[in-house]
Amino acid sequence: MHVELRGIEKRFPGVVANHDVDLTIRPGAVHALIGENGAGKSTLMKILYGVQAPDGGTIVVDGAERRFASPTDAIDTGIGMVFQHFMLADNLTVLENVVLGAEKLHGIGESARSRVREICEAYGFELDPDALVATLGVAARQRVEILKVLYRGASLIILDEPTAVLVPHEVEALFANLRDLVASGRSVLFISHKLDEVLDIADDITVMRRGTTVGTADPRSATKHELAELMVGAELPSPDLSEDTVTDVPILALRGVALASDGGRRLLDDVDLTVHRGEIVGIAGVEGNGQTELVEVIMGMRRATSGTITLAEEDITRLATRKVRERGVGFIPEDRHRHGVVLDFPLWENRILGHQTKRPVTRGPLLNPGGAREDAERIVAEYDVRTPSVHTSARALSGGNQQKFIVGREMSGDPVLLVASHPTRGVDVGAQAAIWDHIRRARHDGLGVLLISADLDELIGLSDRLEVILRGRITAHFDPDDVSAQDLGAAMTGGAA
Amino acid sequence: MTILASAPSAIRQYRHLTLVLALAAIVTVSLVRVFTDQSRMTTPGTLRLALIAACPILLAGLGGLWAERAGIVNIGLEGQMLLGTWGAAFFAYHFGAWVGVLGALLMGALGGLLHAVATITFGVDHIISGVAINIAGLGAVGYLAQTFFTDLDGGGPRNLSGYAVPTEVTIPGISDGARWVSEQRWFLISDVAAAVAGVTTRLSLLTILAVALVAVTAWVLWRTPFGLRLRSCGENPQAAETLGVNVYRYKYIAVLISGAFAGLGGAYLAMVASSSFTTGQTNGRGYIGLASMIFGNWNPTGVLASSLMFGYADGVSLLSDNGPLVHALLLLLSLILLGYAALKYVGGERVTGLVVALIAVALLVWYLAVDSVPSDFTGMTPYVLTLFVLAVASQRLRMPAASGKSYRRGQAG
Repeated sequence: MHVELRGIEKRFPGVVANHDVDLTIRPGAVHALIGENGAGKSTLMKILYGVQAPDGGTIVVDGAERRFASPTDAIDTGIGMVFQHFMLADNLTVLENVVLGAEKLHGIGESARSRVREICEAYGFELDPDALVATLGVAARQRVEILKVLYRGASLIILDEPTAVLVPHEVEALFANLRDLVASGRSVLFISHKLDEVLDIADDITVMRRGTTVGTADPRSATKHELAELMVGAELPSPDLSEDTVTDVPILALRGVALASDGGRRLLDDVDLTVHRGEIVGIAGVEGNGQTELVEVIMGMRRATSGTITLAEEDITRLATRKVRERGVGFIPEDRHRHGVVLDFPLWENRILGHQTKRPVTRGPLLNPGGAREDAERIVAEYDVRTPSVHTSARALSGGNQQKFIVGREMSGDPVLLVASHPTRGVDVGAQAAIWDHIRRARHDGLGVLLISADLDELIGLSDRLEVILRGRITAHFDPDDVSAQDLGAAMTGGAA
Repeated sequence: MTILASAPSAIRQYRHLTLVLALAAIVTVSLVRVFTDQSRMTTPGTLRLALIAACPILLAGLGGLWAERAGIVNIGLEGQMLLGTWGAAFFAYHFGAWVGVLGALLMGALGGLLHAVATITFGVDHIISGVAINIAGLGAVGYLAQTFFTDLDGGGPRNLSGYAVPTEVTIPGISDGARWVSEQRWFLISDVAAAVAGVTTRLSLLTILAVALVAVTAWVLWRTPFGLRLRSCGENPQAAETLGVNVYRYKYIAVLISGAFAGLGGAYLAMVASSSFTTGQTNGRGYIGLASMIFGNWNPTGVLASSLMFGYADGVSLLSDNGPLVHALLLLLSLILLGYAALKYVGGERVTGLVVALIAVALLVWYLAVDSVPSDFTGMTPYVLTLFVLAVASQRLRMPAASGKSYRRGQAG
């Protein structure tokens, strides 16, 4: 299928998400669309898939101009999409998720089941059509999404940042699948900001910046460096550490920590872990292997079933979250909307959250709005938070700016330990560099950091020491100076690479 | 990634367990009946009463299930049931029994439409809209009854009687035979025979319809593309939208059907449970229907089982001089809870097991300490049971993932 986008434009109140976007997708090729967060890639994809209607421009498919009022139109034309956040119903089976909306093809019974089996066999997907999606892991869910698209006979498959949730060998399996798809004459539109992967898989590359397409590149001749410059107009930041600041004074120590779920399953099992002053300890693991629980136990959000946690020689195993924070623990939560900020509060009120017993946001038993506003302004300036004022509600900020504000808040009041879950997730390259800088600087001043991340480059580059967590246990240790992403990925999944 | 358990084998195991538990329950009931010498516990009359009390709860529960499977919490069931009672009385009085049933369906669906417009189109909180419908339903029915029934023969400002109701059937040979067996008071056999006699004697066609709707609901929701689409709206409407499902349409259909089911429950109250209409006849059964849906884990068969249980409690509370009977039920409840506690304890949830065991022991002590339960308390039986059951069972239940959440088109991805 030959798809051309010409002069696409999309405006939201106050922002132009897309303008003058031109893109040509050849049949039988993997076309990569790259750009920073907020460059307008996702908006463009939603337009191409009919979720949102463009304000201007045309979509031409195989020579004919098309208008997509809803995803149904796009599906009928032969366009399928795999969303970054999977669009699956957990409580339905694989088969039900696949046939939903396409019941007319093969019904919802036996013939649909055998068709699903056929596709699975053809592409080497190991999926049981009758398994509940809730029981599947991330990679398997992604295969269900691709299966959905194939079941509808799509000839253009859009994948929105498909590798963000995968470990290295799963990425390889995905790329093998994509090559099979292209070999069978389909086109793939691959959205990413990971340049290594793009150079590995793409046949054509288009770069977006600030809502528009700024150029194309040939993956056979282009280098990472050139692509990065096209993307950000500047050099790529790297998370490397320059100096050694690790001391031998332990700041956080976990001894034999275990956590059992209500059903008696061991979410954490006999975890031993030490973070020293001036040290960044990275925790690598596939999501759902106990990272969340580890953080919650340290922060006092859940209580360990057994074992002890000490912070600067004080036992904090049974302390409540507020007490833990008062002892100088900063916390960057993994889901900033659930735990980090109250979206409808202005920034200065968000500055108070989590510090509601400390100066300068309080004066005795009362809040100190003046102090909070002043300190919020300090964070906005120091951490380059792009906001009209500290009276703006957090919801109005982009994800990257919200995250910078959270980092700034958590670094306030000179913490001794920072627990950082995915500190740069969903953050653009510029903000990422700034956050890394701040963490490095704090480390220099003697801060201990427990870093949990799904970004292996970040883990390897930023950590002084790496621990691998698998099914609630610390299963391996690595020195980030001589470990490859492949080795780490193998350890994270418990298999050999 | 590995696949933990394939669904069919899990379901098979589940069915096997259900069968064992059901058998254990019947034996326990029979034992308690013999031990306490409360033969009224399982006479055909009591069980027939229980079935009649169960049906309105069942219909309300199924109605709730339809709405929640499409992601809308319909707490307005009570109000829709009330509208149904009036619709049944009005249309049956003027046009005959089955037109009355149809009228109840329509009045209930009207209440459902109101809920649908508020929650789906205008995004009103589901609970608030539902409560408003309950209050408005009560007021509307009071007004409608006063306006239309006051001057009728057999009517009054708050009631109406003398209209046609659906036929009752008795299955000749089986009914009498089973009744005779049940009167012999044999262990186990008589109890089962009483149940058979209860469902074959003077059985209203509306009862058959209500039970048939369990199967219809299960078939439509789980075996047809329509049902799959409807359920997908309750699990992940954004995903359904990206696959071309018109989420608004399915939510509307589901809530309309939900209201119609509740209306039918109202008709049952006004036509089978009693043969006359009274304002405010539902008496909280819409809420108990909602509880039976939750305890039935949003499954049609589960709703059937839990409404039978609630119906039994409701039926017993209607019997005259039921103090000794409720007293005997204390022993039964205590034994069932002990069994549940033992299961929990063995399953590793020791704290839960111990707490439940403690409650069971307290009930046992109560049973041993008195000879009869005061009549003020016996009327509360169904409601107390509701609280009990939900408190014990709530940890195991799983509602549709997007139930009660507001949905707007165009937010996918």
